[in-house]
Amino acid sequence: MTVQLLIGTDKGGFIATSNGSRTNWTIDGPLFKGWKVTATTRDPQGRVLLGTSSSVYGPAVQISDDLKNWKQVEEGPKWPEGVGRKLNQIWTINAGHDRYYLGVDEAGLFSSDDRGETWQPVDALNEHATRSGWQPGAGGLCLHAIKIDPKNPDRIWIGISAVGVFRSDDGAKTWTPKNNGVPIVLEDKQHKDIGCCVHGLAMDPDDADLIYRREHVGMFRTSDGGENWQRNEQGLSSWFGFPISMDRNTKNLFCVPLESDEYRLPSNGKLEVFRSMDNGDTWQSVSNGLPSEHSYAGVLRGAMDVDHGSPCGVYFGNTSGEMYTSADAGEHWTKLPITLPRIMSVDVISAD
Amino acid sequence: MAHVTIELPTLLHRFADDQSTVAVEADSLRGALGQLTAKHPAMQVHLFDESGSLREHVLCFHNDTNTRWMDTPDVPVGDGDRLTIMQAVSGG
Repeated sequence: MTVQLLIGTDKGGFIATSNGSRTNWTIDGPLFKGWKVTATTRDPQGRVLLGTSSSVYGPAVQISDDLKNWKQVEEGPKWPEGVGRKLNQIWTINAGHDRYYLGVDEAGLFSSDDRGETWQPVDALNEHATRSGWQPGAGGLCLHAIKIDPKNPDRIWIGISAVGVFRSDDGAKTWTPKNNGVPIVLEDKQHKDIGCCVHGLAMDPDDADLIYRREHVGMFRTSDGGENWQRNEQGLSSWFGFPISMDRNTKNLFCVPLESDEYRLPSNGKLEVFRSMDNGDTWQSVSNGLPSEHSYAGVLRGAMDVDHGSPCGVYFGNTSGEMYTSADAGEHWTKLPITLPRIMSVDVISAD
Repeated sequence: MAHVTIELPTLLHRFADDQSTVAVEADSLRGALGQLTAKHPAMQVHLFDESGSLREHVLCFHNDTNTRWMDTPDVPVGDGDRLTIMQAVSGG
């Protein structure tokens, strides 16, 4: 099995490739040296899309059909004149269906019907009636999660930090907050159905109503498409953390707990991955090979992915630029022999 | 029209065919920058913000004068003038 990872960092993108074993890796890069690579994905036809940014020169979308020749999208995401918002960063790109979506800071959703060549704002969400109550969290006001029902692309879920989850059932024409059962952390005076701080989402590809939600205040699950959420964090070492990933074959879930929203570090310096093999009912540490002490770097929300092999490979990076891989569904871990800049995103862009 | 050379910071070379300078013909500072983004449209979003102003941490010098202190970009440019774009040193 050949696997390619695209690793987005504070100073560029890196490609890690493994032929066969998923234990020996070659590293290429950096792509866009000096630029932040904040979001990455590959569409079904093989086009790779990157979100790049610079604190000086701003964000943009880059596309490539061969990972060598890159083109910056000229009609990229842009706020309409007069709305008074800034485009600070591209947080996530979903290119799995005919219509592509991307999420940005300041929080907004954009769509493309031409494989990412041009992008238009999704006004029904961006100008939502609750917008006046959207407040930034510690990571900014960012739309960082987009999940689409594989069987019905008109059903879309998005997550905005410190605001919550919204769902559309009509191809992004209308949106409704879906946060019932999740504690509110930033209460708005007027809009009582927002103010939840979603950190990450994982969807069961065979049942889009079954969604797992890494929340600022715990781990949650819905089995009715977000109408109701319940806690499911038995066994986790901490209620706090960012990434959550699912293997589509076994439905195993993976997450990396961190010690509280105040510290945001591995608890007691022990870096642990937790896995659930029962739809999130219980979680177990699968951390053989990870540092058992003196590990003090966080893992960001986009910095974990799985390859859906058998067994699945699991990959994550941390804010100290360490990259960890497992070829056996988390049973054993190996650190790649490279120190990267702060890792912001990890995506499996190829697994054949 | 005056012949003006625009010098680019390293991070932006890739958006100008990997060149460090771009030669344009213009009669004003505004016109020179307009020529730059017309030749290399990807540059637009990196130099200018949503309001059309130079990004907060982008500096542009007309010869030795910081254009941020000019009242207007409609400043005449002459043959052999140089525009230097660089990032502001805003922290360390």
